Amino acid sequence: MKFSYNWIREFVPGLTQAALPLERLITMKTAECEGIEETGRALAGASVAAVLSVSPLPDTHNVKAVVDLGELGLRTVVCGAPNCRGGMLSVWLPVGRKMIHGVDSDGMLASGDELGVSRDHSGILELTGGEPGAAIAGLLPDSIIEIDNKSITHRPDLWGHHGMAREVAAILALPLTDPVKMDLLPAGDAAIKVRIEDLTLCPRYSALVFDNVKVEPSPLWLQYRLTAIGLNPINNIVDMTNFVMAELSQPMHAFDADLLSGDTIVVRTARPGEAFRGLNGEEYTLDPANVVIADEKGAIALGGVIGGFDSAISGRTTRVVLESANFLASSIRKTSAAIKLRTDASMRFEKAQDPANTLRGLARAIELLRQICPGARLVGGVADHKREIPAPPPIELPLPWLAAKLGRELPSDEVRRILESLAFGVAEASPGVFRVTVPSWRATKDISLPDDLVEEVGRMIGYDTITPTAPLVPAAVPPGNPTRRFHHRVRDIVIDQGFTEAYNYSFISEEAAAAFGFSPESHLRVTNAIASDQTLMRRSLLPGIWRNVVENAKHQESFRLFEIGMEIRPRAEGLPDEIPHLVAALYDRHGDGASGLFEMKRVAECLMPGAVTAPADALSWEHPARAATIEWRGKTVARLFELHPNLVETGRAALLDVDLAVLEALSAGEARYTPIRRYPSSAFDLSVIAPLRAHAGKLQETIAASAGPLLESVEFQRQYSGPPLADGTKSVSFRVTIAAPDHTLSNDEIAAARAGIIDRMRGLGFELRV
Amino acid sequence: MLDQSIQDLLSRSLKRIEAAQSPAELEAVRVDALGRKGALAAFSKEMGKLPPDERKRIGMVLNQAKQSLESSYESRERAFAADALSARLDAEWLDLTLPAPGPRRGHLHPITRIQRELEDLFGSLGFTVLDGPEVETEYYNFDALNIPATHPARDMQDTFWLDGGRLLRTHTSPVQVRGMERLGPPLRMIAPGRVFRNESVDASHEHTFYQLEGMMVDRNVSVGNLIYFMKTLLTAIFHRDVTVRLRPGYFPFVEPGFELDIQCLICGGPGCPVCKQSGWVELLPCGLVHPNVLRTSGIDPAVWGGFAFGLGLTRLVMMRYGIDDIRQLQGGDLRFLEQF
Repeated sequence: MKFSYNWIREFVPGLTQAALPLERLITMKTAECEGIEETGRALAGASVAAVLSVSPLPDTHNVKAVVDLGELGLRTVVCGAPNCRGGMLSVWLPVGRKMIHGVDSDGMLASGDELGVSRDHSGILELTGGEPGAAIAGLLPDSIIEIDNKSITHRPDLWGHHGMAREVAAILALPLTDPVKMDLLPAGDAAIKVRIEDLTLCPRYSALVFDNVKVEPSPLWLQYRLTAIGLNPINNIVDMTNFVMAELSQPMHAFDADLLSGDTIVVRTARPGEAFRGLNGEEYTLDPANVVIADEKGAIALGGVIGGFDSAISGRTTRVVLESANFLASSIRKTSAAIKLRTDASMRFEKAQDPANTLRGLARAIELLRQICPGARLVGGVADHKREIPAPPPIELPLPWLAAKLGRELPSDEVRRILESLAFGVAEASPGVFRVTVPSWRATKDISLPDDLVEEVGRMIGYDTITPTAPLVPAAVPPGNPTRRFHHRVRDIVIDQGFTEAYNYSFISEEAAAAFGFSPESHLRVTNAIASDQTLMRRSLLPGIWRNVVENAKHQESFRLFEIGMEIRPRAEGLPDEIPHLVAALYDRHGDGASGLFEMKRVAECLMPGAVTAPADALSWEHPARAATIEWRGKTVARLFELHPNLVETGRAALLDVDLAVLEALSAGEARYTPIRRYPSSAFDLSVIAPLRAHAGKLQETIAASAGPLLESVEFQRQYSGPPLADGTKSVSFRVTIAAPDHTLSNDEIAAARAGIIDRMRGLGFELRV
Repeated sequence: MLDQSIQDLLSRSLKRIEAAQSPAELEAVRVDALGRKGALAAFSKEMGKLPPDERKRIGMVLNQAKQSLESSYESRERAFAADALSARLDAEWLDLTLPAPGPRRGHLHPITRIQRELEDLFGSLGFTVLDGPEVETEYYNFDALNIPATHPARDMQDTFWLDGGRLLRTHTSPVQVRGMERLGPPLRMIAPGRVFRNESVDASHEHTFYQLEGMMVDRNVSVGNLIYFMKTLLTAIFHRDVTVRLRPGYFPFVEPGFELDIQCLICGGPGCPVCKQSGWVELLPCGLVHPNVLRTSGIDPAVWGGFAFGLGLTRLVMMRYGIDDIRQLQGGDLRFLEQF
């Protein structure tokens, strides 16, 4: 929202602060300013110029004009505007002398656009009056203060200059003037009937009829005001409605009365599928969630959003129905979102405007029309249909409570002064308790609780006047977050193994999901995705890590990275399961990938000491002969595999995917001490002959199962294939350690244990090299 | 005569010890002179034939010679051992400028680093760390935070909507509500986490970023407490004294609501390009918890009050490390990640 400094100053005549310090004050006490823009700077040096004569310059579009600047004398200027002609009054700017087409041109004649007073750049500005050489009456350079819309979302009144002027007056303790003269409103029967069908959706609809209206361009001062705050001047009637909106935050609309049918304006919900053509030329199909303003034939405006094309003000208009209405904020917001049209009106109405403001808007319009459309005549009185809106209940404000909330003592006089300057009514309900009445324009949504008044007082005294104070609370150990601590510990372990942490988006594409065997339907879908490759919520971290592998492989020969993040797994209803996973990847451009997988296996064992790697059938994105699950404490916790070589252009990528929820659950519990064994253990080696693809882990398990109660451990030593072994076989050697808790094993016992294993292994069909 | 022979042996043997070039030569001298069948042993035998007086005298001479030889031998032996050791150790010369094998330690993501730092910091101040789901309901993300469906404030947070009316949390504030429901008053909590906004990505905008929500609920919590707390916190975060200011800011779940600015850490106040010449940098929104939010979460606002704040973790990380492109954080590029 843009605010004109000059406009604000009209309501705060005592304002002496320049725009910059004022902007700072507004930022500290009311709303965030985004900056100041100077406008109409050229006006400072502009003079009224009477064009005396014009002569064409051969072979150019330009003319040589001699202008009279009164006391400043005569000037010759080269001008390219098509409307430059002798006898007109325009504006001269002292921009210096320059040879143009061989003419010594001194200064220039300026267009409205060049002066910043309008958007017209089709020709030089044509003045209707003024003394040659004088400044342009009523037009001064201005500073435009831009306020962040987000910071006034809750303030319907700050969408107009008068509301902001009230803030300024309160901040500076200056008087505020009111541009509205309510006694201008005509009494008597209205010339048009108004009927609201649903007084919730439209709490109030007020209207006036004018005739003898002449539609023409607005005077320059009005065009300048609108242009300066970013509105487009159109004609005097439309500009007047926009002016009132920008001043009082009351959107208005003018209908061409001759284009309306019947004698009644009805405010109703739209019929299902009702067609409506907006002022902007767009066709809309409406439904009963939308409020329309209708005549006998149909919708003439989309209530609170946009007027209708067919009843718009035009050069032929002579009779005008002026609407000043109020709409339910949520309904306007919904309609505006549904048809994707935000207008200056809808933006204001969705902030919950004050129904009392409709008549103020009409009163202001009457006065403005007298100036800018002098022939216009009021016809009849004010049409006004409204819901009775009870005054909001006063708020009890105990001053000690206020001081406790702010953390600062405050004299009651100061509290009263602040609240009254913001138009609150203040009465003393009981000693130390104010009874505060809320002005209607703050009561629609903004202020209903004493807490809201804490803000009013706090911001005006300035939060910098509050001394920072340590809160005095009992010391307490906060509840822990073991899951988060666990994830941090996992990170540390993985980092120690050389892996670097990456973060990936929670969104993936359908293609990426498919590459990892997931159908799009098994994902939670984003209904308003930002890009086609971000439509699904990941239910696996693999697609993200895959992308990391492919991208980084372009720059690095080998690397290790990981991510900890949530798998989002939809459920039939309610929120999806969010399961924390760790996915680590180890990439090497060279080599056969085997060492990477074993490095990765070590990572798994660092996380799960004693975990068992069990061969598994490969999934489609896994290397068909290199996949396993990691089992720990009786549960499957992770998957270890090489990424299918089809998914990696060159090199190999070993992956580990760990379910951290399961891992955390299994990691719980503390170690228990067992006494250190007092008698030495004994070890011997065994070599098993097995088929080449027999799993060493299985052999080890088999030996362990065959070893009897003395077994302490079986450890893999080495494996060998080649002569003298038969083709297709290998020899796998293990070291078996046995011990007894209560004595040192005798040679006989050791030999018996060894023989027992050998016997049982042979019984199972294994050949042993002994 | 025996004296002379002993002296001869002694001087001859000492010369040989001196001249020995190897432990073997030295050993030969030892065997010849000091061995069981060596020269000194032979003298010893001969000595037996002497009269007692003479025997005693010669015994002393012999002993002296033996000690002298032994000491010389031992020192030579030590010298050989020392030489042998240095030769062996020299052969073990290692080029320690060669790289160590095995992987280097990896790197934590910069957001993880700062997040942990803040978790530790808040933990030391008695705050518990809470987590909430990334996929949220409208209730927790909006309604319970005093943002009903029709509230224009919903426009402030462009929302990613999911099947079934669920959404991706647009802020970490829903964890306030979940935390209050779970723990009840009094409570002090933070909730760092991933949040989502439906906006286009460029160097300074991301649809996925990180926030850290903070909240304290207790019996008497004032704006003065909030300012104190924020100042303490930011001083710890930035490792230097930080000047803060509050100005009005509108967030439906707090009343009053503030924007907290810190005095520009680059220029210290006079104004520079970083603070757009204002001397202040907008850092975080905060405020006193709105009574409606407390009530919705089952806490009586007549008894309890609190403050809440939302720290832009991603922005803080960018400030701390001087990262100028937000996209790097989720880009997965090791050339970026390995810098932290």
